[in-house]
Amino acid sequence: MQKTDIQFELNGQPQQLSIEDDTPLLWVLRDVLNMNGTKFGCGMGLCGACTVHMDGVPMRSCSLPISVVQGKAITTIEGLASNGDHPLQQAWVAENVPQCGYCQSGQIMSAAALLAANPSPSDEDISNAMSGNICRCGTYGRIRKAIKRAAGNVETWEPTSVEDIT
Amino acid sequence: MSLSRRAFIRNLSVAGGGLTLGFSLSSAGAADTDSVLEPNAFLRITSGGDVFVQIHKVEMGQGSVTGLVTLVAEELEVDPTLVHYEMAGVNKAFTDPEYRLQITGGSNAIRVNYEPMRKAGAAARSMLLEAASQSSGIGTDKLYCDNGVVHSKDGSIALPYGELAAAASKLKVPRKPTLKAAADFRLIGKQNARLDNQPKVDGTANFGIDAPIADTLVAVVVRPPVASGPVTSFDDSKAKAMAGVHSVIAIDEGIAVVAENYWRARKAADAVDIQWQASSSELIDSTAIDSALTAALDGDKFANIRKDGNAPKGEAHQLIEARYSVPFLAHATMEPMNATVDPTTMEVWVGSQSPDLAQKFAAIGLGVDADDITIHNQFLGGGFGRRSAPDHVLEAAQIARALGKRVKLVWSREDDTRHDFYRPAMKSRLAARLDAQGKVESWQHRLAGPSLIQSFAKEMSPAMIPGWVPGFVVDFGTGMAAKKDSASVEGAEEVPYDFGHIDVGFRNVETPVRLGYWRSVGHSHTAFVVESFVDELAHAAGEDPLAFRRRYLPQDSRHRQVLDEVAKISNWGQAPAGHFQGIAVHESFHSVVAEVVEISIQAGQPKLERAYCAIHCGQVVNPDIVRQQMEGGVLFGLTAALKSEITFKDGAVQQSNFHDYPMLRMNEAPDVEVAIIDSDGPPTGVGEPATPPAPAALGNAIFAATGKRLRNLPFKLS
Repeated sequence: MQKTDIQFELNGQPQQLSIEDDTPLLWVLRDVLNMNGTKFGCGMGLCGACTVHMDGVPMRSCSLPISVVQGKAITTIEGLASNGDHPLQQAWVAENVPQCGYCQSGQIMSAAALLAANPSPSDEDISNAMSGNICRCGTYGRIRKAIKRAAGNVETWEPTSVEDIT
Repeated sequence: MSLSRRAFIRNLSVAGGGLTLGFSLSSAGAADTDSVLEPNAFLRITSGGDVFVQIHKVEMGQGSVTGLVTLVAEELEVDPTLVHYEMAGVNKAFTDPEYRLQITGGSNAIRVNYEPMRKAGAAARSMLLEAASQSSGIGTDKLYCDNGVVHSKDGSIALPYGELAAAASKLKVPRKPTLKAAADFRLIGKQNARLDNQPKVDGTANFGIDAPIADTLVAVVVRPPVASGPVTSFDDSKAKAMAGVHSVIAIDEGIAVVAENYWRARKAADAVDIQWQASSSELIDSTAIDSALTAALDGDKFANIRKDGNAPKGEAHQLIEARYSVPFLAHATMEPMNATVDPTTMEVWVGSQSPDLAQKFAAIGLGVDADDITIHNQFLGGGFGRRSAPDHVLEAAQIARALGKRVKLVWSREDDTRHDFYRPAMKSRLAARLDAQGKVESWQHRLAGPSLIQSFAKEMSPAMIPGWVPGFVVDFGTGMAAKKDSASVEGAEEVPYDFGHIDVGFRNVETPVRLGYWRSVGHSHTAFVVESFVDELAHAAGEDPLAFRRRYLPQDSRHRQVLDEVAKISNWGQAPAGHFQGIAVHESFHSVVAEVVEISIQAGQPKLERAYCAIHCGQVVNPDIVRQQMEGGVLFGLTAALKSEITFKDGAVQQSNFHDYPMLRMNEAPDVEVAIIDSDGPPTGVGEPATPPAPAALGNAIFAATGKRLRNLPFKLS
C-alpha cells in the first residue's frame, strides 16, 4: 500500500504527514505522533476509549481511517485545554471520578462534545451521549455528577492559548 | 486476588516469622546518597526538599498511590499533594509478607502497609528532628514538624526538610519510631481527594501501553484458534510484502508479526497463512465441562472443607434443596495486555500486579538473569487480578530477543477476551433442614469445579522462586489439593450463620481452561450461592430476609452492623411502588459488606434502579476512595450477574469483544449509595469486598419482584 499525504488540523495546529491511508487515526496519534492520551480499548468502536472530536463531533478514532480526516479539524484530550483545566477536567477532579483512569480521556471527550451541543443536559441526554463509553471500574455515577457540575461553567470558561501544545 | 492466603501464612510461620516489610536499607536508584535522606526503601527526601514515595502496591484504580502517600505524609508532616510518587521497580524490600512475592492483590495494600508506611514517614520525621536538634542545640522535645519544616516551639528556628536531609541521612535509622496517636491524625480518615486525578483527566498518565514508541517496533501475535499444539508451518510471503512490516517470526504462543506501527502489524497478521498442529488432547467444550461438573456434583467424593455440629436426626420437617451454577469469566480490563521490552538495555515497560514474576518471565524470554532486568511499572488500565499473570511479558521478551530490537507487544481486544486466565466455572448443590418452627437445623453445601491454584501455579511455574514452590505446588500436588485450595471455596467455608450443623465439601474437577484471580476470587461465586440460598431459606421459613439473617448472626457482629446500616439507608421493606429490593451480606478480605439492590421490571426484564452498600473495613484512610471502590465493586458484580459468560466450543472461546462479552453501560448502571461504618479497628480490604454480595442481592430482588428464583449466572429472566 502506498503512502498518501494527509493534511489536517490537530489541536489547532496544522499537521501534515505521509502514511498509508487506511491507518486509523488512533494509531496515527499513538504510534506516529506519540500522542498517548487517546486510548486503544476494542478496535471496533464499542468502548469509546479512543474518542476524539472531528470538527467538534465525537468520533471513535480506532475506526476512523486517516483518509477521512483529510482537511478536518481534530481535537484530542491533549488539546481540550492547554492546562488540563477544561471545566469537565476540573469537575472530574472535584468529583474524584477516575479510578484506573484508562477510559477517562474518551469519557471526557464524549462529555465535552455533549456540553458543546447541549450546555444543560438532562439525565437522559447524559445517558444517551455517554453510553457508548465503557468504564470497567464503574465510575458512571461520578461521571454523571461531574458533567452536571461542569455544565454550569462550560459556557463562561475562557480557554487559555493552545499554542504550547505539541 | 488472594493467592491462598492461608497457605502463604502457613509458609511464613514455617519460615520462622516471615519477612519484615520495609526498613531494609535499600538505596536503589538514589544517585547522590550523601545529601539524600533515605531511611528505608519506601521514602527519600532530597536536599531540595522533594519527598519521593515508592508505590510498591501498583495503582490499578483502587487508590494505592493516594493511600500509601497519605500514610507516609501523615507521619512525615508534609502536604500529600506535594509528594512525588514513583511506581516501584522490583526490590526485595517490597515483597509482600503474605504472598512472598511483590504482588498487588487480595485487597491487602492498606491492611498490610498501614504500619510500615507510617513507620517509614515517622522514621524520617524522627531523623529530621534529631538533625535539627544537633544543628540548633535545641532539644528535640522543644521541636516539632509541620508542613515540611522543623520548627522550634519558641519560634526561633524554622528549618525546611531539604536543608536537614544531608545531616539527617548520617543518623541512625530508628527501628521503632513513635507513631502519631489517632486523635492527632490530620489526613488518615480525612483525606478524600485522589492524588492521581490530574494526569488521568488530561491524558498524561502513563499506562503500560504508553511506553516509549521512538525506535520501537510494534508486535501483534496470531494465536492458535484452539488450545492446540504449536505451529506446523506458515506462509508469511504476503504479510512480509506489506507496507511497514519488519518481520514475521514463530514464538511459543503463535506467530508474531512485527511492523512499524500497530495497524500495519494487525493488517499483516491477517495475511499470514498458518497451519496449526492438530490438538492431541480433547478440545475444550463448555457442554462437556458442564457435564463433568454435574457428574462430580452428583457423586459423593468430596473433600471435607468444614463440618460443625452434629447432623440432625430423624425426618426433616422441611428439606430445602437447590443447585446453583456460575460460568467462566474474563477480566476485560479496559487496557488490553501489552508489554514493551528492550533486549539491549534489558528494560521492560509494563503495568503488572506482579513485577517480580514479570521480571522472571522477561528473563526467560530474553535468556538472561532476572537480576539484570529493570521493570518500569506503570499505571494499570484495570487489573482485577488479570495483571498478576505476566504471560504477555514473556511473549514480548521472546520477540525482542529474536529481533534484537525494542518491541512493544499489544494484544487486541479479541486476544484479551480469548486468552485470559478465567474465573473458574463452579457448580453447587445445597440442602438445608428446617424444623417445625421454621428454624434452620442444618446446612449442607457441595461444590464442584476446577482448582484455581493448581492451574495458576502450573502457568506460573517457570518463574517460581525455588523457596516459594513448595507451599504453592507441592501441597496442591499431593492429592490434597481440593482440601487446601481456599481460592475455590473461600466464602462457602466461612458461612457466618448459626445453622447448627454446617457441612461443606468440595470436589476438584480438573478442566483444560487456564484459570486466574478475578476480583474477589472464590468469593465472587460463593457469596452468590450462599446468600441466594439463605434468601430461599428465609422465604421457606416465612420470614423477612433481613430479620432472618439477623436472627442467625451474633449480636454484636460486623455482619449485623452492616445489615442494619444498609437497611437504614435503603429504607428496607419500604421500596417505592413498583420497586423491589434484595439484600445480601458477605465477609471477604477481612471486611464485611451488606448490599441492597433495588429493581423494577420493565418489558419483562430487571431494571437496576438503585443500589445501597454498607461496609465495615476498620480504620478508613481515604473515605471517598472507599466509596469509589464500593460503587465500582457493586457494578462489577452486577455486570457479571447480568451479562458475563465465557463459553468454549470446539476448543475456542466463543466471545471476542464488547459486543458479545458486554459490560454494564451508563444507561443501565444504578447509582450506588454507600455507608461506611465508623471504626478505629485495623484497616481491612476495600478493593474487592463490594463485588461478592451484588449478584445475590440482585437475584434476591428478582425473586421479590417475580417469584422466580434464578440460580444460574448470568441471570436470564424469560
